[in-house]
Amino acid sequence: MLIGIATITFLLVNAMPGDPVRIMLGPGTDQATIDAVQSRYGLDQPLYERYFNYMAGVAQGDLGNSIHYNGVPVTEKILERLPVTLLLVASSFTLAISMAVPLGAIAARRQNKATDHVSRIIALIGVSTPSFWIGLMLIIVFAYQLNVFPSSGLIMPWAHPSDVPQAANRIEVLGSSLYHLVLPTITLGTLQTAAIMRIQRSSMLEVLNRDYITLAQAYGVSSRTVLRKHALRNAQLPVVTIIGIQLTTALGGAVLTETVFSINGMGTLIITAVESQDYPLIMGVTLFFGVIFVVGVLITDLLYAYLDPRITYGGGDH
Amino acid sequence: MTQDPLLSVQNVTTQFVTEEGIVRAVDDLSFDVHRGETLGLVGESGAGKSVAIRSIMRLISSPGEIVSGTITYKGHVILDRSQGPDGEVRDGEAMLSEAEMRSKIRGREIALIFQDPMESLNPVFTIGSQLREFIEINRDLSNAEAKAEAIELLREVGIPEAESRYHEYPHQFSGGMRQRVLIAMALACKPDLIIADEPTTALDVTVEGQILDLIEQLKTEYETSFIWVTHDMGVVAEICDRVNVMYLGELIEQAPVDELFHETKHPYTEALLRSIPKPHETTGEFDPIRGIMPDGMNAPSGCRFHPRCPDAREVCMSVHPDLREIDDGQNAACLKYDVFDADYDDSPPLVVDENGERVPAETVESVGGDD
Ligand SMILES: Nc1ncnc2c1ncn2[C@@H]1O[C@H](COP(=O)(O)OP(=O)(O)OP(=O)(O)O)[C@@H](O)[C@H]1O
Ligand code: SF4
Ligand SMILES: [Mg+2]
Repeated sequence: MLIGIATITFLLVNAMPGDPVRIMLGPGTDQATIDAVQSRYGLDQPLYERYFNYMAGVAQGDLGNSIHYNGVPVTEKILERLPVTLLLVASSFTLAISMAVPLGAIAARRQNKATDHVSRIIALIGVSTPSFWIGLMLIIVFAYQLNVFPSSGLIMPWAHPSDVPQAANRIEVLGSSLYHLVLPTITLGTLQTAAIMRIQRSSMLEVLNRDYITLAQAYGVSSRTVLRKHALRNAQLPVVTIIGIQLTTALGGAVLTETVFSINGMGTLIITAVESQDYPLIMGVTLFFGVIFVVGVLITDLLYAYLDPRITYGGGDH
Repeated sequence: MTQDPLLSVQNVTTQFVTEEGIVRAVDDLSFDVHRGETLGLVGESGAGKSVAIRSIMRLISSPGEIVSGTITYKGHVILDRSQGPDGEVRDGEAMLSEAEMRSKIRGREIALIFQDPMESLNPVFTIGSQLREFIEINRDLSNAEAKAEAIELLREVGIPEAESRYHEYPHQFSGGMRQRVLIAMALACKPDLIIADEPTTALDVTVEGQILDLIEQLKTEYETSFIWVTHDMGVVAEICDRVNVMYLGELIEQAPVDELFHETKHPYTEALLRSIPKPHETTGEFDPIRGIMPDGMNAPSGCRFHPRCPDAREVCMSVHPDLREIDDGQNAACLKYDVFDADYDDSPPLVVDENGERVPAETVESVGGDD
């Protein structure tokens, strides 16, 4: 799987027109310098040789050195940016799941009542509004006009107080971090909230019509227990799948969100990499997105197996 | 039977509001269940049998609503609802609240067994935990006692190795075994009335036989009353004492089981009985009821069975027959009986049109009535 991703990235990137070294050095650089730099990054070798070198490196966790960032190892650059993006994705998912699951479930319970209609309209708006537009609107309203939230930057909750302006201790760092997270989280989280809520509602509706739900009610189980225990767990199966898929779209959304809020995460990193045609960096970041995707699928599968006893890994009934 | 009935259902109407219109799935239904008896509720698919029994348990959820009727059970008023001229429903003072339904009726007094054993158990919980939960809710037992009771019940309904199967999930059980689990659930709270909604239709014939035997045995042991919903007249003959026949939401015949089979009053019941495949006949002679049952939205005028009824006359298109006593203990809703005084005898018979439906003779051109 990962070998496949690495290979495809390698081929795609090398099929791109243009030469990163020329871009970096600028026009009018003499050929000798260009040749020297090219050989430093191994770009003078034939393609197949570069491929094997690259794959061997990948196997050892070495993704090569960035051209744009003057030879800084790609892995180092990624590890520096990754926590920022993960923080953003995690906070937007926390928002999405904590809003969407109860709202979707309640909407299903009150099918065709006012609560249901309102939540469905919100969900529809949520899935059909581009996140960069939401981001820009939030910045205009809350950062420029009301001036309540910052429009750019992100502070890691574990940053050292001395690195954070106006923060004397760890608590204040945490506060500042949350403060900076609000708008980007809403920007990135809206789409996920809406998408998860829709699935949650329809899945819950389907489950609530099943015989085993009526049976539980027929034996005097309270409607609250029926909803929370008997229905929710069954209804979560399709939702878990959507959450897994959303993880990938969230990475795409993160690229836009980071750009809108000038956050130095993986999103802005890949944009820089592409703009400067920094082959090793592009390959490294893409490979990393691939890894995250695979991890997402894996987590989905494990959750699924946990929720649904009919699925067993390793085959056979137990 | 002189004794008060165990369950009394009077004029219950349940409807569904759908995009296409209002469906009266159960229309003015009235019947009694006596102690120790097994009452059959039969009718084709879509007749409203499941809606009827869910109405008894007050388990109708949106878009359905019970709009009127009275249901009493051992002095408890399960339902006392009337619909005002403005269409608004009003509940009587004595009607049990939702909480009382849960704590007094559902499970404890009346238990349900559903049509499809594959669908009736929650796939994500073990058999044991589901059974135990119902026992804990309805009887004051500790967790451990409830577990012991659950295992004992599983054993009683004939599940081998009950102790280890207690920890298994529904998908690890066969259909027949799941149906046994559902019966164990019904027995768990020692109810006086068990309502079984086609509990054996999803099972093959041998397993069905075993389940019916089990029910017979439990009936003598616990003296439980049953409402047995089915469209299988063979099962009716085997286990029922009295039978209610339903057509398009209405009861059209009520009779003790022998009279139903041998002195059938209603033409629809006759058609139902003819549709039983007999073992010595080939399937070619199988006589399904002519025509399809219309849906509840477009219920025919007059007698709802008239488009399919071999005895239909023009009067049947305009007069709606209610259920009346025809013979001692036997009621039917059919205008051909004198008690209706509907001029049936002087009314011209309907003929079959090209769709297989019965219509007045003059509306069919040329050679009416096929075969
Ligand atoms: N959830 C619902 N929404 C709309 N209409 C419904 C709903 N449930 C039942 N109905 C209506 O009630 C009618 C009777 O349904 P019901 O399930 O009671 O039939 P049944 O006699 O139990 O049939 P079967 O033998 O197939 O179980 C249906 O034909 C349908 O028109
Ligand atoms: S009333 Fe008329 S149509 Fe209805 S069952 Fe009797 S004979 Fe048939
Ligand atoms: Mg049914």
